[in-house]
Parts: sequence; C-alpha cells; structure tokens
Amino acid sequence: MDKKKDIMNIPKQPISQRILKYTLTTAIVFASLWSAAGLEITIERILDAPRQIGILVGAMFPLDTSQEAIDRIIPKVFESLFIAWAGTVIGAIFSFPVSFLAAQNVAVGAVSRITKQILNAIRAFPELILAFVFLPITGLGAFTGTLALGIHSIGTLGKLSSEVIEGIDEGPLEAIKSSGGSKINELIFGVIPQVMPTITSYWLYRFEINLRASAVLGVIGAGGVGQELINQLRFRDFPRAGTVLICTIALVLIADAISASIRNRIIQGKVVKS
Amino acid sequence: MINIPKKPPPSYLVTIGIPFSILFTVFSFQRVGFNLQDFRENLANRAIVTDPLFNPKWSWAWENTADAMVETVQIAILASIVGCALALPLSFYASRATNLNKYSYFLYKSFLNLVRTIPDLFWAMLFTVAVGIGPFAGVLALIMFSLAIMGKLLSETIDSIDPGPMEAAKATGSTHNQTVFTSALPQVLPNFTAYFLYIFELCIRASVILGLVGAGGVGRIIETQRIFLRFDRISPIIVIILVVVILIEQFSVWIRRKIL
Repeated sequence: MDKKKDIMNIPKQPISQRILKYTLTTAIVFASLWSAAGLEITIERILDAPRQIGILVGAMFPLDTSQEAIDRIIPKVFESLFIAWAGTVIGAIFSFPVSFLAAQNVAVGAVSRITKQILNAIRAFPELILAFVFLPITGLGAFTGTLALGIHSIGTLGKLSSEVIEGIDEGPLEAIKSSGGSKINELIFGVIPQVMPTITSYWLYRFEINLRASAVLGVIGAGGVGQELINQLRFRDFPRAGTVLICTIALVLIADAISASIRNRIIQGKVVKS
Repeated sequence: MINIPKKPPPSYLVTIGIPFSILFTVFSFQRVGFNLQDFRENLANRAIVTDPLFNPKWSWAWENTADAMVETVQIAILASIVGCALALPLSFYASRATNLNKYSYFLYKSFLNLVRTIPDLFWAMLFTVAVGIGPFAGVLALIMFSLAIMGKLLSETIDSIDPGPMEAAKATGSTHNQTVFTSALPQVLPNFTAYFLYIFELCIRASVILGLVGAGGVGRIIETQRIFLRFDRISPIIVIILVVVILIEQFSVWIRRKIL
C-alpha cells in the first residue's frame, strides 16, 4: 500500500486538516456516548425497539373505517387545515407591512433595528407556549391554535420577507427616482413587484409548516387533529388512531403537493410551449 | 404618444386562485371561530397566565430544571447524530444522480416523503406508546424528524451536483459504488455538515416540547407545572431554554465558520 502511494504521488492532507478531522470525529463519538449513557439507552432497548414498534403498527391494522369513526375524524382533520390557513393569513397580513419597516434599505436604521429585534423576540417563543397564553382568553378550541400560529408566523415571515426586500436590485428604484417618482412610488412600482413572487412563495411554504404545527397543537387542546390522536392512543384504541394517522398523512401530502406546485409556478414562471 | 405594449391577460392561477383563496380564507376564519368580540371581553382572563408569567420564581427553576435541561440537550445531540448518519446513505439512494434504478429511487424517495409528513410530536406520541414513556421515545421521534429533513435537503443537493467528476471516475473504470464514493460524496460533504448543524438547532428547539407527551426533556416539567397553572415557574424555564438555544446557535455558527 505504501509503495503504491509512492508511485502515484498522492499529496498528503495538511496536518491542521487532519487534526481537525480527528478531533471532530472523537467529539461526535463522545457526545453521542455521553448522551446515550445519560438517557440510559442500552443495546437491549435499541434491539427491542423494532419489535415493539412492529406490535404497535400491527395493532393499528385493520384500520377503523366505521361510519362513526370517519364522521368524527374527518372534521378534525379539516379543522387542522383551517387553523393552518387562517394562521398563515394572519401572519401574512401583519408581517407584510412590518417587513418593510424591518428592511435596512427601506426604513431608517434605528427603526429597522428595533423592528428586527421585535421579530426575533416573537420568533423565540414556540407556538405551544403562545397557545398556553391564549388558552384562558379564547378557551379550548381552534381559535387559540389559530392565534398562536398567526403570531409565530408574523415573526418568521417578517424576518424572511425583510431579507427578501434587502436583497432587491436597486436599479429600478433609481429609474423611478430619476423620472421624478416619490418615495411611495418607489415602494409600489420598484420594491413590491420585485419581492412579491418570493414573498408569496414564503407564505405558501409557511402554510406547509403551519399545517404540521396545527396538527400538533391539539395536544394541549388548541383544536385540530392532534387531540384526536392523543385521545385514541390514551384509550388504547389503536385501529382508530391508525385511521387518524392515515387521514393526517393524506391531508399533509395533498396540501404539500398543491402548495409546492403553486410555488414552482410562481418562482419559475409559466412553462411556454414551443 | 408612447407605444405602451398591451398587458398580457392574467393567467388562470390569478383569475381563479385569488378569488378562491379569499373565499377559503373567509370560510376558514368562520370555521375556527374567529370572534374579536369574545376576544376583547375575555382579554382580562389573560391575567391567569400573564401575571404569574411575569413574576418568575427563579430559585425554584434553578433547583429543578438543570437535570431536565441536560436531558433535552442529550436527546437533541443523540437524535441529530443518529438521524443524520442514517440519512446519509438513504439520500444517495433517493437521488436520481446516484441511483440508476428508477424503481428503488422512487421507493426511497416516497419513504422519505412519508416520514416527513408525520409531525414530530406525532412521532413522539407513537413512540411513547411503543417503547414506553421516557427520553428513549423522544430520541426515536427526533431521529425520524432529522432523518426526514436531512433526507430531503441532502437528496436535493445530490440531484444538483456537478456530473463531471463522476464521469471522470467512470472513465477510469470504477464501479458505480466507487464512483459515488470518490466523486459524489466529497462534493456534498460540506453541505452535509452545514445541514447537520442546522438540524441540530432544530432538534434542540423540538426536544423542548417532546416532554408534553411524555417523551422526556424539559417539556415534562413545563407540562406538570402548566396543569397546576404555575406559570410563575414556567417563565424562568422558558428564559433558560431561550438562553441555551441562543448559546447553542452561536456555537454552531462558530463551528460552521471553522469548518466551511
């Protein structure tokens, strides 16, 4: 092997790179061992897990497709869809003007910095914690989940949109200015047409994320399909839990596919047949 | 006069999509029970949560959350490492550039899509039922979570690699596996590292809420205190979580700058 290397004259990796490589490998190995030991995860438990998961999956089939189960589950699944959509709309409406205030090239320096910090603070709270705060105001139900998702979406969409606005091409703005356009004209004819496609696709992307989050919010009683799943699992009604799971997967897959195809159409434009 | 060209007619996406989405929005707001009047009347009730929330009991939190916080970080570390390690070979199978077999490509791709559709907390619920309540269920749930994200990001990166080096390797007579190992893998390793750090951050955030369904971590303490409406104990925990998340993000930014 050594001789072969001599002939081929393969250059050796520099020593600093090799040291980095070995330190990283040991760090990763030690971090995982430390974690596994701390969580009391043993080899037996790992080897036994597939069997236990198999038992659970086996218990779900055949699925519970009785009329009563369907009547209960389908509205819950759609409730999740409505929560996600309404939350996204709240986020989109409020984040749109805010993102202009947060963009450095549109707003004054101080305004943009303060707005950005506010958006960061909103984003720091997970949706579930926001839902806790809204529970005593709006009660158990879908509205609580909608508000929690909406507020969180304002934070994330505001950050993403303001970054889009910061990345625009300054040329059209200059052209409007030189033809005598006001600051407002610059925004309406220079900035918005440039950023709208990307921001709209972010809204749709956020909708996909919110759909998964709204499925989860039910765990604390904020509406949606999560409540149904956790109840069925608590009552050990596995066939019905399986039905809930399959319906959720179907909804998310279909919504994802529609939203992704619209996003592609917006970003890449119409495919012109030639 | 200036000869302004005619505007092209709006596409179906605009003529049908916009009215439809407005209708759907109105319908959704009705169905979720959007009601500002009730909201204003009950706004005083927020005192139940916000008053204790802004009167944090720091001493209690210091004594009781340290163990659970360490557990949260451990769950995130283990799950992101194992999940990403599992995703590395899977995403090579789930990419058209490196998997020549159309059927197995489709199979792996749909598997990754299927894993991705199930939310992380659903995985946690399922695994707590399957392997019992505790951090092991949380680790398994986050493994699926990071596997799904890494699989999607990495397989799409592999789709767009430069085919030149692979052709060169093939021209020297290497087998398909050798080609993938020597010319496809090194191209995506920097992306893999960047995605790994990103997923690790996501896992830290996600592992905080796992405890709500009994899958270990600091969420367990939040859940027990929430049932007793002890929000004065929850708010310091939230602050501690925020500090830990920010520290870890800074750390991962630092590593990213070192490596890439």
